[in-house]
Amino acid sequence: MTPAGPSAHRVRKQRRYGLIALLVLLCLLPLVLNDYVQFVINTMLVYCLVAVGFNVVIGYLGQLAFANAAFFGVGAYATGLSMVHFGLPYPVAMLIGTCAGGIVGGAVGLPALRVKGYYLAIITLAVGELMRWFYVHLDNITYGSGGFNVPNIHVFGTTLTDRGKYYVFLAAVVLGITSTSLLLRSRFGRAFAAIRTNELAAASLGIAVNRTKVIAFAWSGLIVGLAGALYAALNGRVSPDTFGLSQMLMQFAIVVIGGLGSLAGSVIGAVVLTAAPELLRDFPGFEEIVFSLLLIGVLFFMPKGIGGLLARKFPLFRERLYREPTDA
Amino acid sequence: MLDVENMTVRFAGLTAVSELSFSVRAGEVFTIMGPNGAGKTTAFNAIGGFIRPSEGAVHFDGKEIVGMPPEKIAGLGIRRTFQNNGILREMTALENVLTGLELDTASSFVGALTGWPKSGRAERESVRRARTIMKEMEIVDLEDRIAGDLSFGQQRLVEIARALVAGARLIMLDEPAVGLAPSERGHLGQVLRQLADTGIAVLLIDHVQDLVMAVSNQVLVLNYGKKIAQCPPAEIRQNRDVLEAYLGYA
Repeated sequence: MTPAGPSAHRVRKQRRYGLIALLVLLCLLPLVLNDYVQFVINTMLVYCLVAVGFNVVIGYLGQLAFANAAFFGVGAYATGLSMVHFGLPYPVAMLIGTCAGGIVGGAVGLPALRVKGYYLAIITLAVGELMRWFYVHLDNITYGSGGFNVPNIHVFGTTLTDRGKYYVFLAAVVLGITSTSLLLRSRFGRAFAAIRTNELAAASLGIAVNRTKVIAFAWSGLIVGLAGALYAALNGRVSPDTFGLSQMLMQFAIVVIGGLGSLAGSVIGAVVLTAAPELLRDFPGFEEIVFSLLLIGVLFFMPKGIGGLLARKFPLFRERLYREPTDA
Repeated sequence: MLDVENMTVRFAGLTAVSELSFSVRAGEVFTIMGPNGAGKTTAFNAIGGFIRPSEGAVHFDGKEIVGMPPEKIAGLGIRRTFQNNGILREMTALENVLTGLELDTASSFVGALTGWPKSGRAERESVRRARTIMKEMEIVDLEDRIAGDLSFGQQRLVEIARALVAGARLIMLDEPAVGLAPSERGHLGQVLRQLADTGIAVLLIDHVQDLVMAVSNQVLVLNYGKKIAQCPPAEIRQNRDVLEAYLGYA
């Protein structure tokens, strides 16, 4: 049975080879980069996961929840602090940071069972500020408003360089995006999208709305927690002011410009908005202008972001919420 | 198959449905008619578990379903469509139909995100089932179209396919003919009749006379939440109470 037709088959093939080629290129990339560009690329990888995780809740589940910077911070703090206080090796600390993000994510999902829209937005923004209050005031544990240094990461007796981190980050990003993509193309992703459009209809189809919401929030928190764990390694420094409102606004801009409900868009948004400030370094003041113009332009001309535009123009970028049976 | 007994639904002093009793058998099209505000949709919502009746009982295959959450009732094989369109506009037609298989896709959370073979098989099987029902309803060509871009008639068929795909035994349709062109209405009527002929119980709310008269086995008329008549469609036009309710005189 091939109702999707031969062209759909060809697109699938193109997508597969395209992704493999992209991955090979990304593996070779560090060979031609200087240290500065390498650092910027590492930052992009971190924000790819931030955007993918955020998009699960805001793009697919359609909930105006703005606790994403909080999940990011929890991941970074849990990772860094478990290295500082318990001397845990980075991989273990990373796992702890990721899980911490998932747990906080699931917990933030609970108010979303009762409130929606702007009310949820306010509550979730408050969660972010509350977390910052903890970072600042629990200084015995968190080192207060100044933050703390994350110990160097050692691999086989040598310190992990930015180039080494790149491969760790790349592996984490590939794993994070692949698993999220699989989840979105299963009954779970379809349930998220059904809840976004019509909760009553979703319930009438047998979708357990509350449970599904908590699952989406927890997965979102987990992925963003992983991003936080990478962030702790990226800078070697974790401090409360990184995870405030401006961070939240930046993350929101990434998913809106990239495209709500688009994985490719999430990645594109992360790359564009991480690169833009670096490219505009020599023109002080321009960063804010370009950033604002970009946001206004996207909201005006492409409400579904760059990802949505690409999906409309090219079948290659059309993301569906099911996996085409390949034996067809 | 479905037995509603003395069901009463009250909202803060307003009695929306009052001591309503009726039974729907497998293989029949049972229509509920009534003027605006008569309590038709409220009765649907109460049967589907969206609101809880204040009094009375609803049995499905002899089993009490009052108090169950909507997703449990859906799991028993009672599916519905919505007035004003319950279609998921941003999803494709195929994705819409697939959401009807939520409970029938044996894919666990961990299985889904790891792409585990057992999960993958269940997902593939669901895609096949969805395409099969779409083929039967002759909408398989629309599968990759965004549902919000389809015509009303097509959307209604997608919604019905979605309600049927998991093997529903009772399907409740809330004003499916609204906004349809006459030719689309005719097609809808055929589809409903075919469904009933396969042994599915069809519970229909509609005003559109030609559709109701053509497909119904039984017609129940509600007014102010009360049943004022129940009879085969041919007799409804002679019923004094019904004429009174609709036309204000008899």
